[in-house]
Parts: sequence; structure tokens; C-alpha cells
Amino acid sequence: MERTATFKKDQFEQFFCLLKSFGKVFAPVRVSEKSFSFKSIESPSQIAFEALRTILPPKKFFFQQHEPILSYDENGIHEVKPETQQQVIFGVHPCDLAGLGIMDKVYTASPPDPHYIARRQATMLVGLSCMPDKHCFCKSMGTDSPTSDYDLFLTDIGDKYFVQIHSANGLNLIESMPDFFSRPEAQEDQTFKDFWTTRDKAFSSHFESENLPAIMDMEWNSQVWDDLGNRCLSCGNCTPVCPTCYCFDMVDVASLHANRGERVREWDSCQFVGFAKVAGDTNFRPGPVDRLKFWYRHKLHGFEDPHGLPTCVGCGRCTESCPAGIDDIVNVVLRLQGKPSILVTDKKKTQAGGCGTSCGDCQCDTADGDQHA
Amino acid sequence: MLSSNMSKGQERSQTIPSIAVHGLTGCAGELLVILENLEQLIPYVRVASFPFAQSSNEEDRPVDIAFVEGSVSQPHDLERLLKIRAQARWLVAVGNCAVWGCVQKGGCRNQSTVSLLHETYGEDSPIECLPATPLQDHVRVDVKLSGCPINATQLLAVTASLLRDHLPYITSKPVCLECKLRENACVLIEQNLPCLGPVTAGGCGALCPTYGAACYGCWGPCEQPQMEAMATILEEKGYDMQEVMSRLFAFGAPDELFERVKKNLTAKS
Ligand code: SF4
Ligand code: SF4
Ligand code: SF4
Ligand code: SF4
Repeated sequence: MERTATFKKDQFEQFFCLLKSFGKVFAPVRVSEKSFSFKSIESPSQIAFEALRTILPPKKFFFQQHEPILSYDENGIHEVKPETQQQVIFGVHPCDLAGLGIMDKVYTASPPDPHYIARRQATMLVGLSCMPDKHCFCKSMGTDSPTSDYDLFLTDIGDKYFVQIHSANGLNLIESMPDFFSRPEAQEDQTFKDFWTTRDKAFSSHFESENLPAIMDMEWNSQVWDDLGNRCLSCGNCTPVCPTCYCFDMVDVASLHANRGERVREWDSCQFVGFAKVAGDTNFRPGPVDRLKFWYRHKLHGFEDPHGLPTCVGCGRCTESCPAGIDDIVNVVLRLQGKPSILVTDKKKTQAGGCGTSCGDCQCDTADGDQHA
Repeated sequence: MLSSNMSKGQERSQTIPSIAVHGLTGCAGELLVILENLEQLIPYVRVASFPFAQSSNEEDRPVDIAFVEGSVSQPHDLERLLKIRAQARWLVAVGNCAVWGCVQKGGCRNQSTVSLLHETYGEDSPIECLPATPLQDHVRVDVKLSGCPINATQLLAVTASLLRDHLPYITSKPVCLECKLRENACVLIEQNLPCLGPVTAGGCGALCPTYGAACYGCWGPCEQPQMEAMATILEEKGYDMQEVMSRLFAFGAPDELFERVKKNLTAKS
């Protein structure tokens, strides 16, 4: 059973010291007018409590961008021990907790990844409630409340935080300062429930996701993929920002010293042309249309693998960080479902004088030459 | 440092791999990067030839690795390049000029070579010039290490690989990846700046966007850049198509990459 507690917001400084007693604290920090990033912080005044989505999701703390995993020298090949530190990630919203849940599944499945697991085990995850903006659609993906292996989750109930305690580490931390926390009063339980009811009604982007995998299968040949894919820059912005994109590339880096070198793992993206290229220069997904469709499939349908999950948790990061405006997942799903929707490609068509549909049958301006003819 | 290495060079030449560093038409930026990092290379290689940095150089002798900067823009560049190629086991094109032709090639696209020559050196200039071209238009290039200037870490890694007879790994993923890894706010999205990061090869660590400026493509194109999509998106942001084209063209990328963009441009006008 989950235990709960409350503490006063104006005593956040003390709560912060408690977190620091566990390890180095990371929290969302504002980096530009619109953007945030999880960074190491020394004082609560640095925390951007208003942050919804950070540029990179918290996966970066466990699945590192660039990491030597083996080294070799005259004496043979050696495993590189993962670098770990005791750390607290503060301010993780429900979508990102769900994202980490998916990452956990992938990286703990056999054969487990010792680097990922070592860092995950040295980390305390402290969640924080949020109010959705127009790009949030976690509710549609069923990832809108805290799930998976978090330690503590804070809900904003006015002048207090309502704390859900979800792990032994979390409980130990709370019990180390018993006088600081209170048992929630009946009224506070009610405020907590009201908060989540209000939040549930606050989503402006939504679709029914029950039949999503089936619809993705049915619409595999939809014109939507050509229309959107032909605008795709193959810039790959959509995958590092995704809390569940777990793909990497492996490179051997020789050293100038004879017989020495490293095998390094680096983040990769299925949107890059080299990703599906194999010997003989054969490419399973040679064009941006193939790659975009594949990306959408992994996000909304899942692979034919043991996990088999749709891997989108509805955080809206890809929507916000796609320069071409084509990662508009909500509208793409609505379009595939045959419901009212607006896509970036519609505007272009109307302006170009086409009929505004994506039939692709005629030679009107709507059709983009090569792709449609 | 250099001269002592040279004097020992002769007796060590049998055992230690040799390198040569040459500059054709370029700004010497790559030569400077190599010079700056030579101390790290010297324990492992013998500098057989580096006319920019040392006075005594071997001519017409086989060399393991030849680094060549600059584009072929004059007849004597071509003569030298053919000689270098004939003597080198591995030929590494260093810098955008050598790999793509850089601004010289970009410039030659807009104006005739003759008018460029006259405007720069006067009507009676004795200089002979050719339309600027990258090394690969004339000789086999084993490794293309672009940059403006090149990244020192990549230079050392390329050398290390070649010393082990590995073909080096050089990223051709776009600048956007490095930009996202640094968690920069995207200047194309947030500020509508004409950032060419999506079509430009990474390696610089997204230097310009990190300082709030648009990437102007100095590293040359990434692998299979989506030029047409890039042009569409910049045009939608209000950039005039001529300006978009001149930005895309500036750093010497090959014409084939722009065929569809140009077709659309002609169709519109
Ligand atoms: S696909 Fe997009 S919205 Fe879904 S989890 Fe990934 S970044 Fe978030
Ligand atoms: S969407 Fe692409 S990059 Fe992301 S996890 Fe799937 S295959 Fe990998
Ligand atoms: S979908 Fe958008 S973010 Fe992803 S590669 Fe294409 S243009 Fe870039
Ligand atoms: S600022 Fe430029 S390089 Fe960085 S993500 Fe945006 S488009 Fe790419």
C-alpha cells in the first residue's frame, strides 16, 4: 500500500536539504524563453517548477549519450565499469515516469544492461504534478498518472505538497525527518483528489487510443505518410528528445597508442539515413518517408518483439521540437481515425490551390510531382 | 620540437609511419589545426613534409598519410595534388575546401572564374585559375575529414585509425543531433533563424546554435541532406527563395543535391 504525507511549500528548502542528503540533485532549469533542461542544482531557487517538458528527457541520466563500454590494450579486452553517483532527479512528470518505465523494461530485459541498471539503482526519482498544455496528450496514452518505479511523487495542493511514497528509499528518506512531514488530513485528501479531477479535465489534445495498433496496421499505406515524410528534414530531433527512444550506435575508437582503444556507445536515431544501412550499401529505409513511417510505427504500434508496446507516452516533446511540424501525433492519429484534424500539410495544399484532400489521384497542385505521380 | 624530430627522422623512417601535410588553395586553417596538435602526433609519426611549418621537406618520396587542405583552384594545385596522390598510401582531404570546395566553389557558382579573377587581382593578373573543385573531382580520396576548420579530436582519431589500417569513423549525422545533445534551445524553431543544422554534417558540436546563431553550413552537407524540405521550411518562415539558395550553396555542396530545389524554384518563377 502506498503511504502519503504532506509538507508546507514554504519549507521547501528543508525538503531540498533532505534530497541532498541522498545525493546530487538535478531538476528542471530554464535555459531559454521557452525551454528547460534537467541540470544539477545547488538551491531550490534554480528550479523551474513551471517546466512541463525539458529538452532532453530524464533517460539521459541512465542511458548516456556517449559512453565507453569496453576498452582494449596489450593485455586484452576489458569491461568499462559504469560511472555512477548517488543522485536525485526532482520534478519528473507522469509521462516521463512512464517513459522511464519503458526504458527500464528494455534495458533490464535479458541480457540486462549493467550500465543502465547501476545508474538507475543509484537514483531517487521524485515526481511532480503538472497541468497540461496544448501539446500534452499523456491521457490519451494512459500515462497521465504516476506509475512504475518512482520513489516519491509530489502533488501541488495549494500551500502544501501532498507526497506519495512509493519505495523503500522514499520511505527511509521521509522517516529520517518525521517531524517535518504531517499525515494528510481528510480535507487534504479531498484537495488531492480535486487536483487530479481538475487536471483530468484540463487536456485539450486527445484521441481514443484503444484501437491504435490496429489503425496503424490498417493505415500503413496512407497518403499521410508521404505528405508528412516529404517535409521531413531527417534532422533526428524527434528521437533524442523522446523519453523512450533507446537506440544506439556502437563505434570502435582507436587510440594513437598502439594496441589501445575503446568501444563506445552513442545515441542514434532511426531518422538518420545510416541507421538501417547494412553491408553492400543496402538500406531498409532509404528515404525520409520510410523512416518517418517507421518512427511513427514504433511510437504508436510497437515492434513485433517481446515488449511489443506502443512507446509513446504523450509528452509532446517531438511535436514541439520538430522544425517541420510533422510530429503532430495527436492530429495524425485523428486523421488516421477519420476524425476532424488539421495537419501542417493541409495549409500548404490550400495555399497551392489544390483541393485540400490527399487523394493523390489527380495531377493538381496538391500532388508533389515525383512522389504522387 | 619540429627540427629535432626531423633530424631523427631519417634513421627512424624505417620503423615509424610518415605523414605529409600540404595546402592547396585554402585559408591554412586546417594546417594550423594540424600544427597545433602536432605534438600529440609526433611520438607516433614522422613528419616527412609540411612546407607550411618546416623548411626541410622530403619531395617525391612515398609517405603513409598525406593530409591535403584546400581546393583545386589553380593549375599548379592540380599538378601538386597528382604528385601527392602518387606518393601517398592514404590521402586524407582535410577541411571543407578539400572535401567540398567550400566558398571558392560556392563563389564560382555565382560568377565566372574570369570575372572573379579580374575583380580580385586586376585585369592584367598573371595568375591562372580554374573553377574551384574539391580533391575528389581529380583523385581518389581515402578519407574525407570536413570542417571549417577541422575538429582536432576527429583529426587525431582519423590518424589513429589509419595507423592501424582501419578506415576511420567520421560522423555524417546532422548538426541537430549535437545541438540536441547539448540541450540548446532550437534557434530555427524558437527564433525563426535560418539554421542549416538539419542538412549540415556534425563535428563542430553545434557551435553556432550553442551561441544563439544559425548554423550556416560550414561543415558541408550531412549524409543525404533533405535540401528540398529545408528550402520549404525556410521559405515558410518568410525567407526569400533566392536567399535560401545562396545560403544552401555557400559552402560548395555538389550541384546534384539541389536539383529538386532548383526545379521547384524555376517552376515558381
Ligand atoms: S513520441 Fe513524441 S510525444 Fe511520444 S513520448 Fe516520444 S517525444 Fe513524447
Ligand atoms: S523510434 Fe527509432 S530511434 Fe526511437 S526507439 Fe524506435 S527505432 Fe529507436
Ligand atoms: S520528423 Fe521532424 S524532428 Fe524528426 S527527423 Fe523529421 S523533421 Fe526532424
Ligand atoms: S538550432 Fe539548428 S542545429 Fe540546433 S536543433 Fe535547431 S535546427 Fe538543428
